[in-house]
Amino acid sequence: MDFEISEDQRSLRDAVREVLEAECPLSVARDVVETGRPAAQPWRSALELGWTGIAIAEELGGLGLSFEELGLVVEQHGRALAPGPFLATTTWFAPLVEECGEAGQRAHVLSGVAAGSLTGTLAAGGEPGCRARPEGAAWMLDGGWRFVLDGASADEIIVAARIERGDGVGLFLVPRQGLKSEPVVSLDASRPLAHLRLDGVRVDAERVLGTPGECAAALERALDTARVALALESVGTCQRLLEITLAHAKSRIQFDRPIGSFQAVQHKCADMFLAVEKARATAYFAMMVIAEDDPRRALAAAMAKAAAGDAQRLVCKEAIQIHGGVGFTWESDVHLLVKRAKTCDLLLGGAAEQRARIAELLEL
Amino acid sequence: MKLHYDAATEEFRAELRSWLEGNQPDRETVRGEPSRSSADMPEWAREWQRRLFDAGWLVPGWPRELGGRDATPVQQLVYFEEMARVPVMRSYNPQGLTIIVPSIRDYGSDAQKERFVVPSLRAEISWCLGMSEPGAGSDLAGLQTRAQLRGDVFVVDGQKVWTSGAAHADYCFCFVRTDPQAPKHRGISVLVVDMQSPGIEVRPMPELTDPERADFNEVFFDGARVPRENLVGVLNQGWSMATGSLAHERGMLWTSQAAHLETELERLAELGRSERPDGTRFGADPVFRDAYAALYVDSQALKFLGYEGFAKFARGEASPEHSVLKLFGSEIVQRLTLLALEAQGADALDVDWAGWGMMDEREPPWAKRYLHTFSNTIAGGTSEIQRNIIAQRVLGLPRG
Repeated sequence: MDFEISEDQRSLRDAVREVLEAECPLSVARDVVETGRPAAQPWRSALELGWTGIAIAEELGGLGLSFEELGLVVEQHGRALAPGPFLATTTWFAPLVEECGEAGQRAHVLSGVAAGSLTGTLAAGGEPGCRARPEGAAWMLDGGWRFVLDGASADEIIVAARIERGDGVGLFLVPRQGLKSEPVVSLDASRPLAHLRLDGVRVDAERVLGTPGECAAALERALDTARVALALESVGTCQRLLEITLAHAKSRIQFDRPIGSFQAVQHKCADMFLAVEKARATAYFAMMVIAEDDPRRALAAAMAKAAAGDAQRLVCKEAIQIHGGVGFTWESDVHLLVKRAKTCDLLLGGAAEQRARIAELLEL
Repeated sequence: MKLHYDAATEEFRAELRSWLEGNQPDRETVRGEPSRSSADMPEWAREWQRRLFDAGWLVPGWPRELGGRDATPVQQLVYFEEMARVPVMRSYNPQGLTIIVPSIRDYGSDAQKERFVVPSLRAEISWCLGMSEPGAGSDLAGLQTRAQLRGDVFVVDGQKVWTSGAAHADYCFCFVRTDPQAPKHRGISVLVVDMQSPGIEVRPMPELTDPERADFNEVFFDGARVPRENLVGVLNQGWSMATGSLAHERGMLWTSQAAHLETELERLAELGRSERPDGTRFGADPVFRDAYAALYVDSQALKFLGYEGFAKFARGEASPEHSVLKLFGSEIVQRLTLLALEAQGADALDVDWAGWGMMDEREPPWAKRYLHTFSNTIAGGTSEIQRNIIAQRVLGLPRG
């Protein structure tokens, strides 16, 4: 039992943090929010440094590391409020191709992800959902998914659909051009969401992942991985909120002293710290569970997302409050981080939904 | 990062488990003559601790002659995990074993070590810890109990309060002021006081749950005489022991808190599965389910944080985890017992009954369990003090 990250992992995390501090200051996300234009960074750095292929096998051009290393990079992306396709491509999309794809599909898609020439996402969860019916060796998809992360910008979208056979779930690799997307005016504009519509979209056999009708378990596993990634990103974002709040509390002088010397402020900060530590420890546990493919995956993922959700709720509230009037302004970075953390919480089931799932998994 | 221990560590665990199965006192013995305070060691408790000592299972990280087996830090962690699972405590004089003996080992003279260490480990003598005073609680360094050196004897006058086990302890490891002129941290010394000495009066302070139960005491010193040879460490430099002594085993003490929490969670789950007379289940209530799941997540997080902190502890690094774990753990248990109390409605008011979900009728009822949790949010540094420590020492916020 060892809950500490290794020396190598620590070096990786620190290196990623340094690169992101240099290449992706908070002004990068602000620029995306204010102009609506996608940012070149930190995606370019991710490609140069091989981050997109961290958990992809070496023979496919990746670094051959595990979900632990990937998770640490995701956490740092959250701390940097990184915009771009990294999260969805590496944690929502690639793991499901890895799990369900045939050798040829894996080789093509994963080497593309590792090389940075291919971005992707996963459309599943929530309403109204999609239906699939066979047409010869191909499949016809109808329906849609709402609030799909990077749904209007990813190159490839894994669309989950209900079919009439087996456990009823099929997974289909659909190019972005093959479906209609309607961008959402998102709370966090640096984290683009879209509603997807499929009206009789034909998917050829070579774009079918796994065996249609037998993919429910794989989809659940992928969604758990995606939840853990959101939790890790949220932990990073909350960590940054805590950091800027502490900096403010130490420098803002009222009544001739820093406001951080007041116990009322100190206790709020201590509680923020506690919440972030708790969320990080829980997310790291889930990260290990996924890396080791431990059977506690569903429970660990729900716990990680619940703890991250709790943390962001407290941290966001106190960060705005402690910043005072400044925290209420557009000019302050607080709201940018708050919006990201809220987005991480509400995608794929918020904290309360996760707790309901935990109670069920524990057979209460 | 790894989710599992290696095979050698699991062998260590198996050896301990099988020893515990053959050697721990049975429930009836423990119930038959319960310990009344943290220094009250009934004969079975003394015998149990002696058996642990003789087998090298009392302080496994220490050498053979001190009741250990030179266990590695990871083995010690496994030891604490296992000890937290058995229904008896390792020692029924915990402050003696975990705070006072290590302090004497670190700071005491050879004669003191000879006289106190092994007899304490073998449960032949018991201890109380004289720290808090009416005017020195959270601000411990403000203590006023005076010890004046007259020839070869310290004469002690003053008052301690919240002294756990003082009514049953043989000795008090007592923090006293020996130089009232010095700045407050620099005039403190530690004396070993024989509790049978003339000039000491102990008044038990029954707890809020029960007028019969009193671990805490007030201790009055009126010209009590303590031989000079009972001074521990250097005169006027006792403060380092107040901070140092509390650090002993700090890296692992959370394991017992985590295990206690796990037991309470299991009781809460049992409550959730119980049916009310009208056939409804407590656990069917979405509010109860939500709160239960939140407590479950928190209790797991506490363990994860503990393991993380342990790794730093094992490397000898300072870590903030102690304050975090103490604060977090004590508040979770408090929330848990409050949830159980409120979920039961008016039934919780019958304190002659253990309550729904409690398998052993002799267990204290949830209302008393809740009230008792304040011992953990107040003792050993209140939750507010822990938040101050986190804010100032971990987060670097300026002192007020």
